[in-house]
Amino acid sequence: MLKKISALIALIIFSLNNFAYAHGTGWREVELKAAALEFLYSDGELMSYCEAKIYSPRDDKIAFQTMRTDELGRVAFVPDQQGQWRVVVSDNQGHRAEAKINVTQNLNNNLNNNNLISQQDIYIRAVLGVSLLFNIAAIILLRRRKAVNN
Amino acid sequence: MHISEGVLSTQVLIAGWAASGVGVYIGLKKLEPDKIARTALVASAFFLASLIHFKLGPSSAHLTLIAPAGLLLGWQVFPAVLAALFLQAILFNFGGFLVLGANLFIMAAPGLAAYLIFKKLIINNENKFAVVYAFIAGALAVLLAALLAGAALAMSNHEFINIAKILFAANLPLALIEGIITALLISWLKRAAPEFLA
Repeated sequence: MLKKISALIALIIFSLNNFAYAHGTGWREVELKAAALEFLYSDGELMSYCEAKIYSPRDDKIAFQTMRTDELGRVAFVPDQQGQWRVVVSDNQGHRAEAKINVTQNLNNNLNNNNLISQQDIYIRAVLGVSLLFNIAAIILLRRRKAVNN
Repeated sequence: MHISEGVLSTQVLIAGWAASGVGVYIGLKKLEPDKIARTALVASAFFLASLIHFKLGPSSAHLTLIAPAGLLLGWQVFPAVLAALFLQAILFNFGGFLVLGANLFIMAAPGLAAYLIFKKLIINNENKFAVVYAFIAGALAVLLAALLAGAALAMSNHEFINIAKILFAANLPLALIEGIITALLISWLKRAAPEFLA
């Protein structure tokens, strides 16, 4: 009888132990090289807390990671293979930024990679834009006058 | 209020191009030689206005000058805004080329609405009443643009109510600012250069 009870207790303890392991969680600190990007609006405002999706080189449809940018508009992830990774950040108000970064063999991305326009460039481009608009108008005006004269 | 590339569905992009195409066609058809310089001037103002940002609480906004553009140009607001948005896409990465049609309609249609509804009221009334109409035109044009942007996003499978609420709230201060700018501009034009409103 005692043997049977001992066996039953052992069985219950063993089962509980297995149950606990099946749903257990744990963590460990690891040393990984992350790729980090900063997302901004054109006026320099940070794209904070925006939806971010990261696509790996092997799957361009299903996101490798879905997250939000942090308060400072940053996204960081750990690539597990080399190739072109795509990061899409959207604020769900019509603004969307897409970054493509090339992760090299030792999982370093090119830190010089960006598509931001410097403040000085903005002024030059603004002047160029206004100039182009008046030139377009001048061309239309000349064509209309030519058509009237003919 | 530039919607970025890759956000809207193909159907919305096509609809945007179709609607804007009609506006641009009518605008060019009605463009008289003596209004070409004015159109270029307003297009330049619209082009530069989006570079003027100001803080609005936790966020920031940029000027649009939709209503003044519409009131001064009428149907020519479509080709003017088209040229400005095209250059903004090339030079500043604002919006994009595929989404240009939708962005054009979102920005130019409220300007045209301001022209069709308020132009006669502004011309035919005394300065103090004209200023009030100009303020309403300026504010409503911004809110209508926000509504159109929300509708475009909703038709591209985004949640309309949430987007509409966010866009409306975000653009409410801008609507007030644009209303004041439109009122001041119209008041000045009525006194100094009434021929511009003709």
